[in-house]
Amino acid sequence: MDFLIHHMLRNSAALYPEKEAVVHGARRLSYGEVADRCASIACGLRSAGMQRGDRVGIYLDPSVEQVFSIFSISQAGGVYVPMNTVLVPEQVAHIARDCGMKALITTPDKLETLLPALHDVSSLQFFIVTGESSGPSGLQVDSKPIHRLRRMLQLPVAGRWSDWGISKDLAAILYTSGSTGKPKGVMLSHANVMAGSTIVSTYLEISDRERILAVLPFSFDAGMNQLMTAFQQGATIVLIKFVFAKEIIAALIAEHITGLAGVPTVWSLLANGGILKHKFPDLRYITNTGGAMPQAVLKVLREALLSTKIFLMYGLTEAFRSTYLPPEELERRPTSMGKAIPDTEILVLNEHGKRCPPGEIGELVHRGPTVSLGYWGNQEATDRVLKSNPLLPQELGDCEKVCYSGDLVKMDDDGFLYYVGRRDTMIKSSGYRISPTEVEEVLFQTGKIRQAAVIGIPDEVLGQTIKAFIVAKDGAPLDCDAIQDFCVEKMPRHMVPKQFEVMKELPKTSSGKVDYPALRRREGL
Amino acid sequence: MNGVSKDDNNAIFRIRRFVFQKFPLARKRSVANSDNLLESGIIDSLGVLELVTFFQQEFSVTAADEDLTPENFQNIECMARFVERSLELQPGSAE
Repeated sequence: MDFLIHHMLRNSAALYPEKEAVVHGARRLSYGEVADRCASIACGLRSAGMQRGDRVGIYLDPSVEQVFSIFSISQAGGVYVPMNTVLVPEQVAHIARDCGMKALITTPDKLETLLPALHDVSSLQFFIVTGESSGPSGLQVDSKPIHRLRRMLQLPVAGRWSDWGISKDLAAILYTSGSTGKPKGVMLSHANVMAGSTIVSTYLEISDRERILAVLPFSFDAGMNQLMTAFQQGATIVLIKFVFAKEIIAALIAEHITGLAGVPTVWSLLANGGILKHKFPDLRYITNTGGAMPQAVLKVLREALLSTKIFLMYGLTEAFRSTYLPPEELERRPTSMGKAIPDTEILVLNEHGKRCPPGEIGELVHRGPTVSLGYWGNQEATDRVLKSNPLLPQELGDCEKVCYSGDLVKMDDDGFLYYVGRRDTMIKSSGYRISPTEVEEVLFQTGKIRQAAVIGIPDEVLGQTIKAFIVAKDGAPLDCDAIQDFCVEKMPRHMVPKQFEVMKELPKTSSGKVDYPALRRREGL
Repeated sequence: MNGVSKDDNNAIFRIRRFVFQKFPLARKRSVANSDNLLESGIIDSLGVLELVTFFQQEFSVTAADEDLTPENFQNIECMARFVERSLELQPGSAE
């Protein structure tokens, strides 16, 4: 019986030991090879001191080692915490501190960059580095051992493997932003992740014949879901890091890719990058998530990919995956988010917890097996998002949590959903969720600003870009370039405001808070 | 600052100014015209799109998809060479 994430790998390795599991550049590994290596690393993790439920961070670019890390942490009984390598050291340190990270898997170079920020993370007990190099300081740093992944790969797996967990155990923590504060860790159980794979495999009809190109990071729920569906079905996943659309196009053709998931920015790149000049006879489906696909881009894709099914999807990390628009509805409802994924119910509720009739705007509330376990170490924030199902009979008690998405939607007469906007001030840019307060905190760190507020400005390619309204301390003149330079050091590029406006005072509500709607109105939004 | 330098007409100057405006990390690191901006991650896939739009608006140079290569975008010098080469190929470009 498969009930833990690595069981999917084990099962596919038993069914298709010789079949290609992962491809990255010239490296091609079969399911048998991946399973053997993950088992060896799992032994290495346990002998290095990993206990059941320990959080292990992964800070790697797309690579075979990244895949090994995810499945071996699961096999060793731990919880993997994938981090996007666009994050700056302070953000990695926040995640490590927040989840009480015990170990970190990264490259020697990246470890060297991260170390100054990680010194005070007391939970970290050891590091694992990939590659040949000996790392920043030999065999240990700050009295913490540095293990070599390469050496772990050679460990023999003796006797029968004993799993430590069950499907309800925590499998992964994905950090994501909300409307306030620093990123929070969304907790996903093995059951959540595996339900996500089964559901997505069902409606995308993914089988072992699939060859999936992974352009989205595994720290993003949709990216991780691609890996999980591939391994669950015994399909092949091809990893790529790209700058130019032609790199994606070349991989689609050379690797006979059948499935590709992207965010709107990926599709904009492809639409502008010559997709019309090529043919993709193998490409069976594409899926969009992370924001609405611009209609002009969708038009180009439909023209270029005549025999490819286009699925528009919607999901939020807290509930993993939520809706999809069946390809046959695309012509009729190109701006719709579709309907609930299988085994899932999507409710549109008003502020009294009652269903909204068609056409009325309400909050999207997700009910189903992919509702996460909440935010790590933050019950208050969890309680704001995961609440009792208000539609269940009282007699059932508090038996089920549903996920309040914060996304405002409306439903048409046929039950198809349409995105309207956010209930809060959260910004979304190139698929990333951005908390205004996290950006504002960095602006305050300059020491030159008395008030700051950031809002999202609509952008055809990115979804939104960030505009900052700032008020100088003591009315002193502000050098916006210098403030932007400061932001660049403290945040990844997608979080750095593109526009600045210096104001004498920010508009305030009667209760003295920043009046964000007034700022948006100022921008004609 | 108020005067117009003769360099203002040079593609390399205008591209450098744009790169410094739009890619704060380039400004922060005071990158040289020959520094690789792709390997250092200063310009990513979306940055390339911004540059393509800039070339169109500033120089009326359209970058076709076959032009979107590291050879044309890896540093400011390469971008300027690409723009100048494209301008030379345009009919009636006397400047």
